[in-house]
Amino acid sequence: MIQLRNVERSYKTGAGATYVLRRINLDIQAGDFVTVMGPSGAGKSTMLSILGMLDDGWAGEYHFLDHAVHKLDRKKRADLNRQYIGFVFQSYHLLDNLTVYENLDVPLSYRNVSRGQRASMVAEVLDRFQIVGKKDLYPSQLSGGQQQLVGVARAVVGNPKLILADEPTGNLHSSQAKEIMELFKKLNDQGTTIVQVTHSEANAAYGNRTIQLFDGWIANDPKNEPVPNTTASIG
Amino acid sequence: MIDALLQDLRYAVRMVRNNPGFSLIVAMTLALGIGANTAIFTLLDQILLRSLPVRDPQQLVQLQFVGSDSGRTSSRGGSPGDYFSYPMYRDLRDRSTVFNGVLATYATQVGVQWHNQPDLATAELVSGNYFETLGVHPAMGRLFVQSDDVVQQAKPVAVLSFNYWQRRFGGDPGILNQTVVINAHPFTVIGIAPKNFHSIVVEDAPDVFATMMMKAEITPGWNDLDNRRSRWLNIFARLKPGVSRNQGEAEINNLWHSIRTDELKDMKVHSATFREKFVEKSRVNLLDGARGFSPLRDVLRTPLLIVMGMVGLVMLIACANVAGLLSVRAVGRMKEISVRYALGARRSRILQQLLIEGLLLGLAGGAVGVMLSPYISALLVQRMASGSPNNLPFSVSPDLRILAFSFVLSLVVSILFSLAPAFHFWRPDLTPALKQQTTTAAGGTMRFRRASVGIQIGLSLLLLFGAGLFARTLYNLRTLDAGFATDHLLTFGIDPKLAGYQPEQIPALYQRLLTTLGALPGVRMAAATNDPLLANNNESTNVTVSGYNAKEDEDMNVEWSIVTPSFFSTLEIPLVAGRGIGEQDGPDAAKVVVINESMARHFFGDPQRAIGQSLGSGAGNGVKMALQIVGVVSDAKHETLRNEVPRTVFVPLLQSKEAGFIPLQFYARTSQAPESTATTIRAALQRIDSGLVPDTMRSMEAQIDDSLNTERMIALLAASFGVLAALLAAVGLYGVLAYSTAQRTREIGIRIALGASRTAVVRLVLSEVAMLVGLSIAVAVPLALSLSRLLRSQLFGVSNNDPWTLAAITGLVAAMALLAAWIPMRRAAGVDPMVALRYE
Ligand SMILES: Nc1ncnc2c1ncn2[C@@H]1O[C@H](COP(=O)(O)OP(=O)(O)OP(=O)(O)O)[C@@H](O)[C@H]1O
Ligand SMILES: [Mg+2]
Repeated sequence: MIQLRNVERSYKTGAGATYVLRRINLDIQAGDFVTVMGPSGAGKSTMLSILGMLDDGWAGEYHFLDHAVHKLDRKKRADLNRQYIGFVFQSYHLLDNLTVYENLDVPLSYRNVSRGQRASMVAEVLDRFQIVGKKDLYPSQLSGGQQQLVGVARAVVGNPKLILADEPTGNLHSSQAKEIMELFKKLNDQGTTIVQVTHSEANAAYGNRTIQLFDGWIANDPKNEPVPNTTASIG
Repeated sequence: MIDALLQDLRYAVRMVRNNPGFSLIVAMTLALGIGANTAIFTLLDQILLRSLPVRDPQQLVQLQFVGSDSGRTSSRGGSPGDYFSYPMYRDLRDRSTVFNGVLATYATQVGVQWHNQPDLATAELVSGNYFETLGVHPAMGRLFVQSDDVVQQAKPVAVLSFNYWQRRFGGDPGILNQTVVINAHPFTVIGIAPKNFHSIVVEDAPDVFATMMMKAEITPGWNDLDNRRSRWLNIFARLKPGVSRNQGEAEINNLWHSIRTDELKDMKVHSATFREKFVEKSRVNLLDGARGFSPLRDVLRTPLLIVMGMVGLVMLIACANVAGLLSVRAVGRMKEISVRYALGARRSRILQQLLIEGLLLGLAGGAVGVMLSPYISALLVQRMASGSPNNLPFSVSPDLRILAFSFVLSLVVSILFSLAPAFHFWRPDLTPALKQQTTTAAGGTMRFRRASVGIQIGLSLLLLFGAGLFARTLYNLRTLDAGFATDHLLTFGIDPKLAGYQPEQIPALYQRLLTTLGALPGVRMAAATNDPLLANNNESTNVTVSGYNAKEDEDMNVEWSIVTPSFFSTLEIPLVAGRGIGEQDGPDAAKVVVINESMARHFFGDPQRAIGQSLGSGAGNGVKMALQIVGVVSDAKHETLRNEVPRTVFVPLLQSKEAGFIPLQFYARTSQAPESTATTIRAALQRIDSGLVPDTMRSMEAQIDDSLNTERMIALLAASFGVLAALLAAVGLYGVLAYSTAQRTREIGIRIALGASRTAVVRLVLSEVAMLVGLSIAVAVPLALSLSRLLRSQLFGVSNNDPWTLAAITGLVAAMALLAAWIPMRRAAGVDPMVALRYE
């Protein structure tokens, strides 16, 4: 489903450029449940946004299904995101002035889903995440954990083919975290491809493959030879 | 208390000093608003509101009668009942008991010769008690007393106005008891009027005052002091202390009815209905005379009120704008204010501080505005005064009254705009504010700013709609076919009597002037009339038309123009039937007239049928049908471009009894630009007689331009205020959108990450614009339609709710809003979710 070839991401800093991702080669098959781990600042979130087509400032090749993403313009990439991807943000990013219900409705509203169908899809997700009682509250009226829950719910509401989850359980109680992971597992079993970033070994255990990211390099990928750890950054 | 005030004042001064750019913008915005308002009010006050600079002006009344009259009226405007005859005046003065003085006045033009230098001057013919009754004291010498004004032509004395004394005589005190020559008669200067007094006629600033008894000299060829049926003067009176206007009216009407009954006895024929209208139904009203007489006041009232309304709107817009600006700053101060509350400040104290800051800005703006206002007023006075700006005695520099007005205006405005942001701080939610989570405060501010921008958009739509209507009015008037060729036409007035000519000399002089003019290089043809075109002049008389049975009460008045040969060809008024007036129509030839098409169609149904018919001036059975219609010319606009073409009779000058008495308006059809012939013509006049001074020589186009001054002024003001308002509103809208999109960057980023397309994002911003602008337009359009009714009397050729103008202006406002939204929209569409989402 996903093929990254020599993907690099750098930021202009002062005189030169700081590399955040280096020569990333990665293959993810449809139906995989991949965990990305690594220390803070290793580039996990960066990689996820590239996969989610939220970032445009990278170099290299990216094939998604049968699309050569590196050749697509912004609009086409956005179309792919809309069609296939659900994203859980590390810092939730709920819309402050919309209720929980409306937050869940937003991605559907962008996907030409009919009003009736949207209502039933949102209701179903509210039910599944046991937040029906909170549907009319605003994000500011929720605890951090509840907000995260809504963030996850919003990613799955549109039944995406690919879920990209950036520390989806960071703020959750371990039993809640477990429920989320169970849900991911179930979705994965039904054919949804999942890439998650986590610091928790327990969460990683739900996946079928763990990639270690270190200073922008893939330090360990069970499917590929590890790349020798040479100079990490230039400039 | 005082301590706290001082402390707040010090703090406010520091705020202003620390934000010089912001303070400057606020103060300048206010200065524009206050300056414009002060300027307009300066004029409005003098024309509409202010009392005369005389003793106890509230005791003054103006006499005006209602009811039928017969005879002739020489009116300069206002109501026909404003004009009385001299015998009527004398009766009212001598037989009434409720007044401390009844005065009469009449304005005219005279020739003044001093050291052999001739000059045209404005004159006021006044009753001997004029100055005494008004309570005006001389600047030098003495003013008239009643004994100066007892016997006709007995005491040729004159009083000079202060300005004329300065201008013409260099302020030389030696002028007292000297002789100046007025209309070729020697007059002794006995005194100088005070500087601040111009005339009881508000818009007049006469150069010379003379007494009624000298009327034969001041208006040569026309005395009428003993003619009861010739009404030409205005009467004012001073009520005795303690006598109310009602009491005065009761007494004066008893007197009036007895005067009218006596008058009726002198009239030979009258019907019962006429008697009723002339005596029983006639009465005299005592109008408030504190503000003097002013025909111009009636003409300018509506335009001035409209302009005042417009600048009022501009003030509101400036206010809304400043309130918006201040409320933006209020967000930045949320924390400061919250801390103050947390430290125990009372709400009143916080309000006090905001008010002091507002007042400081407001008064600064007011001060600059007052300094600006004389320039704006001067511009307006120049525009209003057709042709001769010096003659409108309106001061443009603000006096104490005006300063008080601006001060109060600044105060009110300051309170308005400084309290507006205060409501953000009314009951602040301290916890988030102290944690500097300003989202809630920002929400309120945004609502407030939106309201402020919405108001500005709506108000600018009102102004622009007005501007649109006035622009179309101006265009319609300018492109209107006057019925004669207005280009290449130079015009000026000549009054030979002012140069001392006798009636029997005058027709020959006119003849000579026309021959000389016509032969000048650059002049193709020349003609003259006593009834100038497009100069607000009318000379109406009632007529009897052969074969036409007038219905009872039918208006048989027609315009009675006396013209010289080749008048029609010079003005290029086409002939419709018959012939024009020519050299053959001399004093001894058969009496002929030419009429215009309107008249021909009204009385005869068809121009051809009019030829050969006859008519006579006057009504009743004794009228001699002595004038034969020999031609019909097409219609030409007469009084003004707006007025309907009156039915007109054209009479040959040499066949008119008045040929030796009337001043004429000359027209020269030139082959080049008319102004370029002016010098040639002046020189030619000089050669004929250096005493002949032409009155306002200018091209017809310049005259038309002048006659459209009021229209142009309103259109120009409305347009510039409208554009200014629209710009302010656009900048405000841009600010709101830029701010709200910046605020929403994160939201937009999330939405894009969740799959929103760029169009969806643009729609997001667009819907905000549409909401705001749509709402303002929805409120403003009905308001514009109902307010525009007030403009109706000033419009021409366009309805006050003209849908096209409204649609165009609405489109313009919407386009302007879109333009203002363009950059924020681009920015929103360009949000990079990566950047937006990283921002936490
Ligand atoms: N806009 C930017 N400009 C410069 N450097 C950036 C920018 N965004 C990210 N980085 C850098 O890229 C590196 C990787 O960031 P990233 O957010 O991918 O880390 P992460 O692995 O997700 O860490 P964490 O576990 O703390 O979430 C960091 O060193 C960060 O400083
Ligand atoms: Mg991260």
